[in-house]
Amino acid sequence: MMRKNRTWPIHLALITISMVMLIPFYWVLKTSVAGENIFAYPPSILPKDPHVFFFVDVWYFIPFVRYFFNSIFVVTIVIALNLVFNAMAGYALTKNFRGKKVVMLLLLSCMMIPFQATIIPAYLVTAKMGLLNSYIGLALPELSHIICILIFKASFDAVPKSLVEAARIDGVPEWKIIFKVMLPLSKSAIATNVILSFIWSWNQLLWPLIIIRDTEMQTIPLGLSYFLSYFEDTTGALYAFCVMALVPTIFVFLLAQRQFIEGLTSGATKE
Amino acid sequence: MFGKKRTRELLLVSFLLTPALLIFFVYRILPLLWNLVLSFTFWRPAKTPEFAGLEHYNEMIFYDDVFWEALSNTIIYMAGMPIAIALATIVALLVNARVGGRNIYRSAIFISYPMMPVAVGIIWQWLYNERVGLINYVLLSLGIIDDPIAFLQSTTYALPSVMLVGIWQILGFFMIILLTGLQSISQNLYEAAAIDGTSNWRQFWRITFPLLRPSLFLCFVIGVISSFTSFDLIYVMTGGGPGHATELLITYIYKTAFELSSFDYAGALTIMMFVLFLGITLIANRIAGGEAGKIE
Repeated sequence: MMRKNRTWPIHLALITISMVMLIPFYWVLKTSVAGENIFAYPPSILPKDPHVFFFVDVWYFIPFVRYFFNSIFVVTIVIALNLVFNAMAGYALTKNFRGKKVVMLLLLSCMMIPFQATIIPAYLVTAKMGLLNSYIGLALPELSHIICILIFKASFDAVPKSLVEAARIDGVPEWKIIFKVMLPLSKSAIATNVILSFIWSWNQLLWPLIIIRDTEMQTIPLGLSYFLSYFEDTTGALYAFCVMALVPTIFVFLLAQRQFIEGLTSGATKE
Repeated sequence: MFGKKRTRELLLVSFLLTPALLIFFVYRILPLLWNLVLSFTFWRPAKTPEFAGLEHYNEMIFYDDVFWEALSNTIIYMAGMPIAIALATIVALLVNARVGGRNIYRSAIFISYPMMPVAVGIIWQWLYNERVGLINYVLLSLGIIDDPIAFLQSTTYALPSVMLVGIWQILGFFMIILLTGLQSISQNLYEAAAIDGTSNWRQFWRITFPLLRPSLFLCFVIGVISSFTSFDLIYVMTGGGPGHATELLITYIYKTAFELSSFDYAGALTIMMFVLFLGITLIANRIAGGEAGKIE
């Protein structure tokens, strides 16, 4: 009973914290729909005669559609092949074979090499393969994530052995066991895999920055950073662009909040 | 017959593992070795490589002031992480309390984490704006400062300002990790402590904190990783400036390689960063592992 009376300080604290966390988003949204001069002082807390002028700017005067297409295209390849490759590798690791320990050790040590520590040779390799400035080059380093392999392995390991054995005795072929038994029981691993590869690929700046030269091939983060370097913060269109870059993530987040939070945490806790 | 089956199984396994292993070989292992080779070579694109011995390391340690500045900035950035973890602990305790709408609070606090860092950097740059930025406006209105501060253009404020954004973005993530840790602590312990009349403060230090230690260390390791990998925020907000006030090792490596084309020297810098990263992570993991072992 005491508890009930005393929840208001907690609410107060949490509302304050949530405000601090959310105000930056409000502020960029407010700026992006402002009809007034964005440099007016003092800054208005509410947008004055809001309209979508800046969004129209972004849509027509920079190749936003092109950036968006590039990003979506690469992200789609990355998610699809991640699912295939990681599920394959995860399944292989549920089996006992010679050299399994070596493979596990190799994967775990590779996890200790951050992508940022590989950029120079990664660039040189990609250049040697003639894949600079290409979609394949963009997607290639992200086509498999070790953490997702381990998540698949754990999920497959959790499938009751008796179920698999029974199927095998009935003469069900290996691939059918994967598709009809393993994968339907691994929905949360699949969701985690999709979310992690989406976020990592969608947000990626460094890699496109290194290997992309043409405007045609730029992804959203790269296009956004170029936009910033050309116009600095002189136009509200910059903030409209930011909003448009964030919307897909927010959309996915709202669509699958629980899996999203769980997925990102399991991505870290298994590291 | 048996042998044949085994061979088939091994073939299947290698087929399944090949794509993933190939990617990790080309984009993880090979680059690491290549960096090592680069770091002992004089090489520029379209030139024949020459053996350099320890020349690059010599230059880095004894002649390169920017390296030392980038290194100390990286360590300062890392030192900000315990602040983020302390804040996240408070937040996690709050959202773990039995209050209505706590899932909404959790989402509101978490949502900054998965957002595109490029956009986040631009948003904060706007908030930090000297003339019309919200932060200056609020500080001026409250009378905390008399003149607006150009946060990102000042050598004093630039690094803390960027760190604040890093902390803001990772706070929700730490909160979730710590929340998971809190929820794994048995309620019986608190009930027993309450019967003994132990104060909330003592309960925290005697029960919660020790049992939360593995989660706290996990946060720290993630914080360490982020201080070595936060390229996007810095690149967008300050580009490492003013001067090199916000230069981190990773931004310095990028500039050395891709703006100055000194791939060999950047390779040596990368090896240095990697060794540091590995050392700190292993030590942190070790402490975390040791502490985790103690609890059980």
